[in-house]
Amino acid sequence: MATKVIMPKQGLLMTEGYITKWLISEGEKVEENQPLFEMETDKLSITIESPASGTLLKIIRGEDETVPITEIIAVIGQEGEDFSHLLTADSPAETKIDEVKAEAECAVVESNSISNEKTDRVFITPRAKMIAADKNIDYSDIIGSGPEGLIIEKDILSCEKGLVQNRNKVTPVAEKMIKENNLNANEVVGTGISGRVIKQDVLNIIKNEQSNLNNTDTQEKIVPFKGMRKVISDRMMESLHNMAQANHRMKVDMTEAVKLRKNIKESGINISYNDILIKIVSKALLEFPYMNSSLTGEGILLKDYVNMGLAVSVSNGLIVPNVKNAHKKSLEEIAAESRELIQKALNGSLSQEDYSGGTFTLSNLGMYDIDEFTAIINPPESGILAVGKVENTPVVENDTIVIKPIMTLSLTYDHRIIDGALAAQFLQRIKQLLMHPYLLL
Amino acid sequence: MSRKAYAIAIKDVLAEEMRRDDRIFIMGEDIAEQGGIFGCTRGLLEEFGESRVRNTPISEAGFMGAGVGAALAGMKPVVELMYMDFSLVAADQILNQAAKIRYMYGGKATLPLVIRGQQGIGRGNAATHSQSTEAIFMHIPGLKVAMPSTPADAAGLLRTALRDNNPIMFFEHKLLYSVKGEVPDDPDFVIPFGKANIVKEGNDVTIIATSQYVGKALTVANKLESEGICAEVIDPRTLVPFDTETVVNSVKKTGRAIVVHEAHKNAGPGAEIASLIMEEAFKYLDAPVLRLGAKACPLPFNLGLENAVVPQEEDIEKAVKSVLYK
Amino acid sequence: MEKERLIWIYRKMHEIRKFEERALQLFEKDKLRGSVHLYIGEEAIAATVCSLLRDSDYITSTHRGHGHCIAKGAELAPALAELMGKSTGYCQGRGGSMHIADVTKGNLGANAIVGAGVPIAAGGALAAQLRGSDQVSVTFFGDGASNEGVVHEAMNLASVWKLPVIFICENNEFGISTPVKQSTSVKDISVRSAAYDMPGYTVDGNDVFAIDEVVSKAIERAKDGQGPTFIECKTYRWLGHWTGDPQIYRTKEEVEAWKEKCPIKRLENYLIENKISTEEELKKIEADVLVAVDEAEKFALESPEPDPSKALEYVYFEN
Repeated sequence: MATKVIMPKQGLLMTEGYITKWLISEGEKVEENQPLFEMETDKLSITIESPASGTLLKIIRGEDETVPITEIIAVIGQEGEDFSHLLTADSPAETKIDEVKAEAECAVVESNSISNEKTDRVFITPRAKMIAADKNIDYSDIIGSGPEGLIIEKDILSCEKGLVQNRNKVTPVAEKMIKENNLNANEVVGTGISGRVIKQDVLNIIKNEQSNLNNTDTQEKIVPFKGMRKVISDRMMESLHNMAQANHRMKVDMTEAVKLRKNIKESGINISYNDILIKIVSKALLEFPYMNSSLTGEGILLKDYVNMGLAVSVSNGLIVPNVKNAHKKSLEEIAAESRELIQKALNGSLSQEDYSGGTFTLSNLGMYDIDEFTAIINPPESGILAVGKVENTPVVENDTIVIKPIMTLSLTYDHRIIDGALAAQFLQRIKQLLMHPYLLL
Repeated sequence: MSRKAYAIAIKDVLAEEMRRDDRIFIMGEDIAEQGGIFGCTRGLLEEFGESRVRNTPISEAGFMGAGVGAALAGMKPVVELMYMDFSLVAADQILNQAAKIRYMYGGKATLPLVIRGQQGIGRGNAATHSQSTEAIFMHIPGLKVAMPSTPADAAGLLRTALRDNNPIMFFEHKLLYSVKGEVPDDPDFVIPFGKANIVKEGNDVTIIATSQYVGKALTVANKLESEGICAEVIDPRTLVPFDTETVVNSVKKTGRAIVVHEAHKNAGPGAEIASLIMEEAFKYLDAPVLRLGAKACPLPFNLGLENAVVPQEEDIEKAVKSVLYK
Repeated sequence: MEKERLIWIYRKMHEIRKFEERALQLFEKDKLRGSVHLYIGEEAIAATVCSLLRDSDYITSTHRGHGHCIAKGAELAPALAELMGKSTGYCQGRGGSMHIADVTKGNLGANAIVGAGVPIAAGGALAAQLRGSDQVSVTFFGDGASNEGVVHEAMNLASVWKLPVIFICENNEFGISTPVKQSTSVKDISVRSAAYDMPGYTVDGNDVFAIDEVVSKAIERAKDGQGPTFIECKTYRWLGHWTGDPQIYRTKEEVEAWKEKCPIKRLENYLIENKISTEEELKKIEADVLVAVDEAEKFALESPEPDPSKALEYVYFEN
């Protein structure tokens, strides 16, 4: 029987999603839980996995389309199967949200005649609250099945039974207020548990804006300086204060790397330039152990393994999860793992282990059209590679001007333990591997 | 065990205890030759004589006062009120005198007095002969309040009352008098006050019911079993003293409670019980405690109107489903 | 009447009066709280009636009950301690002036609800009848209570059941401020006894001998199983209904005229004139009573307050 793919709700206040990319083409086979399409909401970018195994029979809503939640966007089934009834029978409202596995909302229980609209407070029965406390379940995102969304015992028990808790970085109330007040979610610094944005954080901003409006025409405002923002600040200042940071830049001809990515993608494996860079830099790091070291009180700590950090921008800051033992992993494994880490970073579900123990960091701002930039080292690491966009550029080759895809590498290193020449050789090695990726073999 | 009607169970215990304790005597309206209009004292005159089974003038305040005085003077009077509604005619003697005397006298007086009679709907007696007044007596410290729902409870609780040294309001129900049930033959069979009866065990919801509503609650609970709802039915049996422990433990288990009685819902026994539950088991509650009782309206004469005022089995069922969010 | 009983009555009247005068002083010194309804001027009734009763006979009293309680055997010290709410009081501070009771002495209790003690006394008589004893039961109540329905119910009940009960109506002319003639349908309240087919008498309530005569007859009748008797004792409340009563409902002259009819003085004169006793003997009694009241006051003042943690004690009999 054919399965509908719907625009999944990804957050309590999401009303529509924007399809950025179909990862499977019409007529292609797809496995359950295999990445199916990429989408964006006003809050996040996310890869959605397939709800079923079979053939992607039809893509109903294509790339660059904005689709209301729960509306059908594709159909998966057996080749030749008639799925016309799916297109007509159900109205979107009757579609069960949890048909899409990527849906991580916990216990969004549909209840007829009961409004799921969240009010200003989370209402929960004393019993449900007691059980939630016993089982250490965060109920603030649960829409209760009791009257007016009241969370009752049953909701907590079904939450415990299997569905993963979705710990949003923003409480539903705060999220709603941010939306209603047209605020930039990235500017709200959370003061709740784990830096969660809570109602008061939003109220503070609104209050500041209002007092600014009342007093003058200028647009100054105070954003609380705490939480993740404060942590990032402290770490950046610590980095700059404690290290002798120096920077080298080098342009790289990416012709072969582009080809490599294309070939691999054509073979059905979705990889990014970052994945290729992780693979190459990991190999180079093993050859230049000082680039993969930390200066400790006992001396210079050299590591024979690479945990490659990836700087990921999230709604309220920056976080650097790392691909563990990247030097041992295949491109395909790296691609899968980095995608998972990025996804977790975006929806706030990284574990402490995910972002601890990095040995080197890769930061890529190519998607923001940045040509080249200087990154600050993520201590206690000793180097960070900042990567710009790949751009077709006229270059002189054999005395003629040719157009090549060029990318600029920018290496920031700790001059206390790494000399300029060593850093330069390290960059040269990366350049070489990027230009001749078959050397990876 | 003998199978007997509720009214007969009461009469038998009165007789047995009068044989056992010659301080016990009964007075009330039409209780001697007539044997009470519901037959609860039928035959006692023949056995015990007109001194110990005495008809009173229609002077509820007067003979209630005589009961108080006789109790103070060492007797154990049983004062029958033909309708418990008439307790309000004798209210001063019950509420200001019987309830308070022991306390006001610094514990130097003992007042063993059983005030019993029937109340409730069911016979088209209208507002002054159909009401349930137990809440009024629950409110005044010094009185104990019993409400048997079965012949066995009537026997066991009445015997306890007759062996107690406090003033006791013993609320029978006119519709229960003809209900038959097994009653232990043991002449010392007693049911202690303050010990609730778990009539039916269940895990989903606790129904606390009194008097004739115990039977109704049980009917509803049995019906709901087929729908997968397992209700626990508790009959507190005495409202003062109240078995908070049994009720609270049940609610801790089920997380949901309904109190149902025939007395008015407003400031009724359910209000007290619901408050106790909230005080003692608040965090265990998964739904508000619901009260079902007669609407805030004098009990009407017409049967249809009467049914519209007091809780029906459907109301109990609805309330159960409501606290289960079904 | 034999000398012994006359002297007993004389002494009791002094006890009542001096006890109440002391209570009034203590009230004015703010040593006791609540209502203190004083019996001064009416002592002959309680003293004479109770001189005819045994400990096993019952009485019920009123809100103006100190006189009845003392005459029925209450000791002055625990009685005064109770007025002060002390732990040594008759009710351990739980009842106060209006609820002094001592069942062991046959006092089924003072009662602050007007008329409420009357059916209770009938109940005491009923207990006596059921036991077949020769106990009698006396209920004291005022002219005001004679208009309470429950008093009439009790009179009817007592008459129908031939209970050994004696209704003593102390007509002191006022229900708080309302004169009897404004509140009561009959001039002599005793005529109401006719409605219940019981003998009724109206006597001078300040005359020990008049009271003694009718009450003796009533007791005899009660013990003989002939049922109740109703006796109205006309008397006068010298003081206000309570301390601080402005007494706008009567004149000073009226009060002074009644003081001339002081029951204690009358008995004193009789005892001396008839050489039953001497002035010295009577002065000595008065002085002894004063010492007893002094001692009672000392006891009451020195007694501890009740323990607040035991405020809930005695609500129920613990089986």
